[in-house]
Amino acid sequence: MTPEARDIRRAILRVAHASGHGHVPTCFSVVESLLATYDVLRHDPANPHWPDRDLFVLSKGHAALGYYCVLAQRGYFPLDEVFAFGAHGSRFGCHADRFKVPGVEASTGSLGHGIGLAAGMALAARIAGTDRRVVTLIGDGESNEGTVWEAVMVAVDRGLDNLAIIYDHNKSQTRCLMIPNPGERFAAFGCAVAEVDGHDRAALAAALREPATAPKVIVADTRKGWGCRALVDEMFAWHRRSPTAGELAELLEDLDAWAV
Amino acid sequence: MRGQFRETVTALAAEDPRIVVILGDISVYQFRDFQARFPDRCYNMGICEPTLISVAAGLASQGFLPFVHSIAPFVTERSLEQIKLDMAYNGFGGNVVSCGATFDYAWDGSTHHAYGELEALRVIPGMEVLQPGSTAEVDALLRQCAGNGRPTYVRLSDFPHDVDVGRVVAGKGTVLADKAADLTVMTAGPILGNVLDAVRDLPVNLVYFHTLKPLDRALVERFRETRILVVHDARGLREAVTEVPNLRVDFHGLDDRFHAAYGTVHDLRAACGLDPPGIRTAVTARLSAWTSH
Repeated sequence: MTPEARDIRRAILRVAHASGHGHVPTCFSVVESLLATYDVLRHDPANPHWPDRDLFVLSKGHAALGYYCVLAQRGYFPLDEVFAFGAHGSRFGCHADRFKVPGVEASTGSLGHGIGLAAGMALAARIAGTDRRVVTLIGDGESNEGTVWEAVMVAVDRGLDNLAIIYDHNKSQTRCLMIPNPGERFAAFGCAVAEVDGHDRAALAAALREPATAPKVIVADTRKGWGCRALVDEMFAWHRRSPTAGELAELLEDLDAWAV
Repeated sequence: MRGQFRETVTALAAEDPRIVVILGDISVYQFRDFQARFPDRCYNMGICEPTLISVAAGLASQGFLPFVHSIAPFVTERSLEQIKLDMAYNGFGGNVVSCGATFDYAWDGSTHHAYGELEALRVIPGMEVLQPGSTAEVDALLRQCAGNGRPTYVRLSDFPHDVDVGRVVAGKGTVLADKAADLTVMTAGPILGNVLDAVRDLPVNLVYFHTLKPLDRALVERFRETRILVVHDARGLREAVTEVPNLRVDFHGLDDRFHAAYGTVHDLRAACGLDPPGIRTAVTARLSAWTSH
């Protein structure tokens, strides 16, 4: 784990504790995916609406806290503000609002919308004759939604090679509708598939940079709660729960001791 | 109406490079010339209505003006959440243009009927809901609303009325008869033809709307002192009118059931009392009731 990724996870834990909100394990599973995305995308925190920027859509909107912490780390806004997470009057809701948070391109929350939106953005870039790229981050649980697959079909049919989908394969659906071998499924739909360690930021960034001739799907092999043993072992119990003061201290110690 | 939709959007697209048409494998032959003329702005994207809406929203997010076109129940009720969230909540406006209004596809049964979508869309914040009743209304409303950046629903029908309602202004209703009567019939969309046939010689006022949202509330207020009978072959107009407080509103239209019969639009309208004789009976019954008081 890079120091930056550890700092992001510390911030997630502290905000979740202070606010009483947050999907901590799923935020932990996407930290490296988010960092790698912002390693690769052209963007400017000082000018979030820069016309030539690349675009990112957080389709699994319940990972908003992790997203805010990464955006704050990148300079879009001070992390201190994120501690109002989920509070009345705060601009940082438990699902992101594009009108409130600089850097957020689309307001998300209901699952299964991100690929279609991102495909429209990618098609817009193509019609406009630009080389702008679009990345969306989806979940494996989210991929129970049929709209994920119809949107993938459309993206492939339109040959949107400027679209990349990061599939956060954090095994959240082991208790219900698990999707085995997602890479094979996306490949069968015609996507250019890369399967990488979803906690290897450099590998994720390399996969995002790799040229493709079809919409790209990066199957990010992750664990919910990666970074704290307790979160990994009890991912369902922690799915939507904020730590108490005592638990926060234990989790921060656990995170510091995480050796990978 | 579909032909008019094609003509108008073709004319608009020639002047506005932001316009993109997305078809759900419907009206593709009608749009063959458009496709040939604007190949990078016309996509028959498949039978996947929620994704058509999401893609349109994505296009709108980057400054394009999308028109999504497919059959009414599928492009609206199936895609309701995409219209609500991707278009309206995100502020990625675009135009959803449907065919197959109410009983246009009568013979196909209830899966292909659409009589709830006007109301379902009307309650989405920021949504515009248009129910043009004639080709002239289609042309005028599209020209006025297509580029305004708001999420807009335009409901086409293959059975337009042939009434000249005068100048068509989005958001404004029209008084077709003001007889200083005690009963005012209010209606919207293609059913106007039947309504006019039914009440032409009756002592009632007649008010017509092609815009359900935003409704011309000022026009409704003008008839506040009369009893109002909404006659409509769908949900949406009565609900819009009754949002004006403290009116006396009655409704003649569809019952709370699936109208599970086949035939033609005329067969189903007759079965629901929405043919001219059925409407006349409903109106005269209200007149009698008023007189008896």
